[in-house]
Amino acid sequence: MRCRGTPHPGSKQAKLADPIKQVLLEAASSIKTIKHFEGAQKKFVIKMQKDFITLAEGSGGKEMQELIKSFGFCKRGNWKECDNDSAVLDLDAVKGKGKPGKLVFTTDSFIVNPIFFPGGDIGHLAFSGTINDLVVMGAKPLGISLGFVIEEGFSKEDLDKIITSIKKLSEEYDVSVVTGDTKVMENGKLDKIIINTSGLGIVDEKDLLTKKIIPGDKVIISGGIGEHAVALLSKRFEYETKIITDSKPLIKEMDAVKRLIKIAKDPTRGGIASILNEICSKNKVGMLVSEEEIPAKQEVRKVVEMLGINLYELACEGRMICVADKNSASKVVKLLKEFNPDASIIGEIVDDAKDNHVVLQTMLGKRILAMPTGRIVPRIC
Amino acid sequence: MNDEELTKQHLNDINKIARSIKREATLMEICGGHTNIIMKYGIREILPKNIRLISGPGCPVCVSSQKDIDCMIELAMQGVPVATYGDMMRVPGSNYSLEDARAKGCKVFEVYSAEEVLKLRKDYPHIVFFGIGFETTAPMTTFLLENNICVYSVHKLVVPAIKAMLGGEIKIDGFINPGHVSTIIGEKAYADIKVAQAITGFSAERILRGIRALLELIKDDKKSVVNAYPEAVHYEGNIIAQKLLNNHFKISDSEWRGLGVIPNSGLEVRKDDLNAKIKYKNILSKVPEPKKTACRCGEVLKGLIEPTECPLYRKACTPENPKGACMVSEEGSCSISYKYGR
Repeated sequence: MRCRGTPHPGSKQAKLADPIKQVLLEAASSIKTIKHFEGAQKKFVIKMQKDFITLAEGSGGKEMQELIKSFGFCKRGNWKECDNDSAVLDLDAVKGKGKPGKLVFTTDSFIVNPIFFPGGDIGHLAFSGTINDLVVMGAKPLGISLGFVIEEGFSKEDLDKIITSIKKLSEEYDVSVVTGDTKVMENGKLDKIIINTSGLGIVDEKDLLTKKIIPGDKVIISGGIGEHAVALLSKRFEYETKIITDSKPLIKEMDAVKRLIKIAKDPTRGGIASILNEICSKNKVGMLVSEEEIPAKQEVRKVVEMLGINLYELACEGRMICVADKNSASKVVKLLKEFNPDASIIGEIVDDAKDNHVVLQTMLGKRILAMPTGRIVPRIC
Repeated sequence: MNDEELTKQHLNDINKIARSIKREATLMEICGGHTNIIMKYGIREILPKNIRLISGPGCPVCVSSQKDIDCMIELAMQGVPVATYGDMMRVPGSNYSLEDARAKGCKVFEVYSAEEVLKLRKDYPHIVFFGIGFETTAPMTTFLLENNICVYSVHKLVVPAIKAMLGGEIKIDGFINPGHVSTIIGEKAYADIKVAQAITGFSAERILRGIRALLELIKDDKKSVVNAYPEAVHYEGNIIAQKLLNNHFKISDSEWRGLGVIPNSGLEVRKDDLNAKIKYKNILSKVPEPKKTACRCGEVLKGLIEPTECPLYRKACTPENPKGACMVSEEGSCSISYKYGR
């Protein structure tokens, strides 16, 4: 199902809704036959080629090279051969000759509807998501790859916006995009665009966040939950909101606290309900979380109530959950508050080797916070 | 007082009133939204021992009959484009779900609002909307009927269901009436039902507020309705929505899962040419009667058994792979019990 908003040229809606675009599209599809035309028509053809993505731009030829060149990724850090089949990195240049260090490696694919939403876009997610997967291991990101699968007819202006947002993040956080790939699929075979990013990072043994957690350790969240989902859903359900996505790379936050924490996770799909359960089952412990300590903006709570969806299952794209020794916990929160005033301790690790339950303390009593199942669907009545 | 203090106050009062009732009282919450909050906060466990809460037939996905779901899937399989709300997609039919039909290439669309169907019509002029839900969602369907979109209606009415439960197999002392539906039909709709009822909303504080009002009625042996949700529900309800319903739908007998056919409990499309059941009679008349399965959704819906008493519960039937409708919907008793049960 295609989302709301302006249909891109080439979609069925566009053909029906806009006869002028229809004519332009037909003209563009016959580019080959009119290429030899001189003067005005030639200009027109060139302009049309710039408007939207064509199959040729994913076919490995000149058009593709032109497109990739137009992305303009030139900052490559310590990486060499970025225009070759593989990018090359001299590890000694990164960690110092002969020094120990572990590589961490991750990948993620991004599909999101809509691709533009308050405060961000699919490119922002694709960069931040992969960076955060490296960061929550305690690693310093070295570089990422960027793979696009684009639907034929996708607006180049939109593609440009996506690339610009990736470039901006890449510069701000000093992590280079070092290799990439672009494929184009026939119109209708794909819903607009898929982005895949893989990331390589490096970590010192002593910073690797796979430390043992024990009962009494505190569970901390770096900011309010549900903001990304509420921003995204505002486009789908057409409500107005001041909430914007929380999508962001957590490099600075992690640099501030990594020596003080034992493990960290980013609660993306499945929200904190999923991540807290994952922490418990992986570490064979239980967790007691105080519902009133879980930070969420008032507006987020209201929207979630209105739609009848579960706040704890909503994705965050720029938050981390970390576990720290009880003596360091308040220091961690203090440091995290510099970045987001909603950072807080939400609970603690308890002994529950058998069931590994996440238990929520509500105002009326205790209940289990279950691992989410199925999809998030708003209630019907 | 803030919500938390109010909640504690209600709980105190409930304990006092329950003591003075001196017998066991069974209360039924009709709405799946209420069941969700009750289970989420463990309200059943904190009520006095002589107050029993059971869940009723108020989840729109759960009460739709197997036959209607099979009919809708058959329409899709025969090439008719269909659109419906998310939860309905996963309800198992006799052979497939609508989601399965989509995976096999049928034109099945999941929509969040009736309005989206209007947009889909541009590409699929013969789209049929599977209209589901109580008086809350039915007014949205009238918007489609006004725009000449064909509808397969399984819309249902709450009041006949309460009446049917009242004459049913278990003695119910009072009903917690649904909040959202009541904003449409108004307090007046319940006036002639001879049993204690309290209308309330969807938070722990409101549920307890409703239970407290209900126990007051039971204590005084009053068989009437109290509006414990005055911030949203008025005596007359939403007159505009009521008029729309009346203009586009006629009241008809309707089949409910587990409850059978309840007289005058459904909304049928008035105009024959917009009624999918008539328009596609030739396809639908060939849909066989569904076979009986081991699923006990019907008894769960009537409050006769707890989800845990069904032999399929947590074994063959889970939210990931539901066998019955009550396990599909977020408002279904089985899914709620699975999620919040200990």
